[in-house]
Amino acid sequence: MNRRTTLAGVTTAVVALTLAACAPTSGSPEPGTAAGEGCDGEPVALDVWSWRTEDVKTYEQIFDVFEQANPCITVNFQAHLNTEYDQILRTGLTGSDGPDVAQVRSYGLLQPLVEGGNLEPLEDLVPALGDFDDAILDGARGREDGAVYGVPLASQTIQVYYNTAIFEENGLEEPETWDDFMAINDKLLGADVTPLAVGARDGWFVPTVHDALTAAQYGGADFQQALRDGDTDFTDPGYVDSIQTLKDLQKYMPEDVTGVAYTDAQVLFTSEQAAMFAGGSYELAFFQEANPDLDLGVFQVPPPPGSALDHPVTAGYADGSWGLSATTEHPQEAETLLNWLATPEFGQLVADELKQFSPIPGVEYSDPLQQEMWDLYQENPAPYLLLVDYRYGDPVGTDLMGEAGQKLFLGDVDAEGAAQIVQDGLSAWWTPGE
Amino acid sequence: MSGRRTAALPTPVALLFLLPAAALFGIFVLYPMATALTYSLFSWRGTAQEAFVGLDNFVALFTTEPYRSQLPRAFAHNALLFAGAMVVQNSVGLLLAYVLHRRERVRRLFQVLYTMPYLVSPLVVGYLWSLLLSPLFGPVNAALRALGLGSVAQPWLGDPDTALWVVVLVTAWQWVGFPLLIYGAALGSLDPTMEEAAMLDGATSRQRFWHVTLPMLLPVIGTVSVLTFIFSMEAFPIPYALGGSNGSPAGATDVMSLLFYRTAFNSGASNAIGISSAVAIVLFVVIVGVSVLFTRWFRKVERGLT
Repeated sequence: MNRRTTLAGVTTAVVALTLAACAPTSGSPEPGTAAGEGCDGEPVALDVWSWRTEDVKTYEQIFDVFEQANPCITVNFQAHLNTEYDQILRTGLTGSDGPDVAQVRSYGLLQPLVEGGNLEPLEDLVPALGDFDDAILDGARGREDGAVYGVPLASQTIQVYYNTAIFEENGLEEPETWDDFMAINDKLLGADVTPLAVGARDGWFVPTVHDALTAAQYGGADFQQALRDGDTDFTDPGYVDSIQTLKDLQKYMPEDVTGVAYTDAQVLFTSEQAAMFAGGSYELAFFQEANPDLDLGVFQVPPPPGSALDHPVTAGYADGSWGLSATTEHPQEAETLLNWLATPEFGQLVADELKQFSPIPGVEYSDPLQQEMWDLYQENPAPYLLLVDYRYGDPVGTDLMGEAGQKLFLGDVDAEGAAQIVQDGLSAWWTPGE
Repeated sequence: MSGRRTAALPTPVALLFLLPAAALFGIFVLYPMATALTYSLFSWRGTAQEAFVGLDNFVALFTTEPYRSQLPRAFAHNALLFAGAMVVQNSVGLLLAYVLHRRERVRRLFQVLYTMPYLVSPLVVGYLWSLLLSPLFGPVNAALRALGLGSVAQPWLGDPDTALWVVVLVTAWQWVGFPLLIYGAALGSLDPTMEEAAMLDGATSRQRFWHVTLPMLLPVIGTVSVLTFIFSMEAFPIPYALGGSNGSPAGATDVMSLLFYRTAFNSGASNAIGISSAVAIVLFVVIVGVSVLFTRWFRKVERGLT
């Protein structure tokens, strides 16, 4: 039995190891076969990959619009599971059965594909990129050459949602000043309503909440620039103060907040047990679906006294773009598609059908709340700092803030210690000013 | 154990029959393994393989942050998962097997019941328990409070002091049927005359268990221990479901597989493939090394008993 045990052990261990072998192999479904009607040339099928498995039907409808205008091109849209997408895409783009056009991640997580030479730079191929907001294009830039490798698909903004019914019942209004905001929290706490629906068990959610509540306090884009210039680092007093604010607001969050999952926080808010939810624009569709009777409003948190900025801001970031495979067999057709993906026509479909913010200039939103979030962002934009600039190495900034925030809530570190965790972690690959 | 038996088939024919399995094993196991090893010896720029760097990735793993501090922490958590599984899962499994062994009428029923969680994906089990243990909506704390045990109610997964033990217990909850079945089969195959002889000599039931049954089970205990070690070192779905890819809260449930997952697929580092392959190789070496050493040592202990 012993020899057999050892063998079984070795075999199992070996199987575990195959996890590691993300070897470039082929594994994509066969390309579409439908030839376009009314095409007088050679019909071509483009493989387009995405991580939005929940949007497959909608995307197919959206691409029908494109196919009607371009009868010789068929779009074969394939979605892969979000959590496995990056791995599948890396494999696909390095093999022979990959996509022609693919949704790619933004900022740091885009870099492996750029550095591996898997994507084509697009500025010359897609002239409309010149009209995009520079901050949004940053999400699709290669770190080293600064070239744009994707047509921005969606943006997200981070703000505070509130339940207008609960606010009305308690005679509350959107806060104009920091004192208003604190008074709202105190009043709700007294009325046995959880003021802020926060779940800190999911580390990724902590930096989102932090920026929603305090981006104006540490200085938003000004602080980002100071870091880029090397004038300061994350132990900056303003940044420490913003973390202290997060700690001060803990009493308005659910008890044992590090044990509360992100999904618990969502349920707390949609079941109207909590009055406010600090989160991304991507929550809106879920909130409206989970509780159609929910009356929602949004606001930006006013900065506390002594803040770096005298006005509130909305943090935002580019969330994905369309990249062109360097090994595509149909570069011309792919170029046609990418140019269409940069048109207001497509942007409007993204807004209306997918309920996402399209960064394409000229798009309008039929949902008034969506329009309000977008307007607030346009008025006072700020970067979702740790995601935008600090995901270019290991460990990534958002993970560090997740861990630091959990320790802060648990009382293991103070605000200064939490800032130090972020700074120390980032110093493994980042030096201020570089 | 028993002496070698002569093969029923002549060697060339036997080899011929072994060939298909060996080929599959080679393609799907040995080849990826060798690939991972070569990956770990090169530097990478994204998906592009660059220069041969020898052991540099391994040196980086042990000398640079964040790996220098995360690797030992993750490894220690794996070791605690193993210790916990040995104490909770395997001893309870043995106890249940022993209790059921004498009770033929209910044995099958309980064996089925205890092995049921087996049939559920560990990810599902993990998410299920994370819902049960939620401090806001979870029935576990609600039940404790209803019983007047409100002081025992905890943010089970939110406190670094309890989170890892929750992982141990949830893992045990799912896998306790595994030692139960193996020990049950082993108990069934023991020679009953030994125990009868001890009984005639006046040994109490406790003495019979400790001095007769347990020593005879030793080979099986060795097998179960080695397999438990391997499962514990490779733990991924349950820690992932309970603590996410960062081992929340504050890294308290971080394990080796999560560290690998993060460095491979969730990192913005250029050399992610090189470093993560090195993590996988280190994990592999530890698993194989300890398994082989443990088996050898156990064989020696067994020989001492006979």
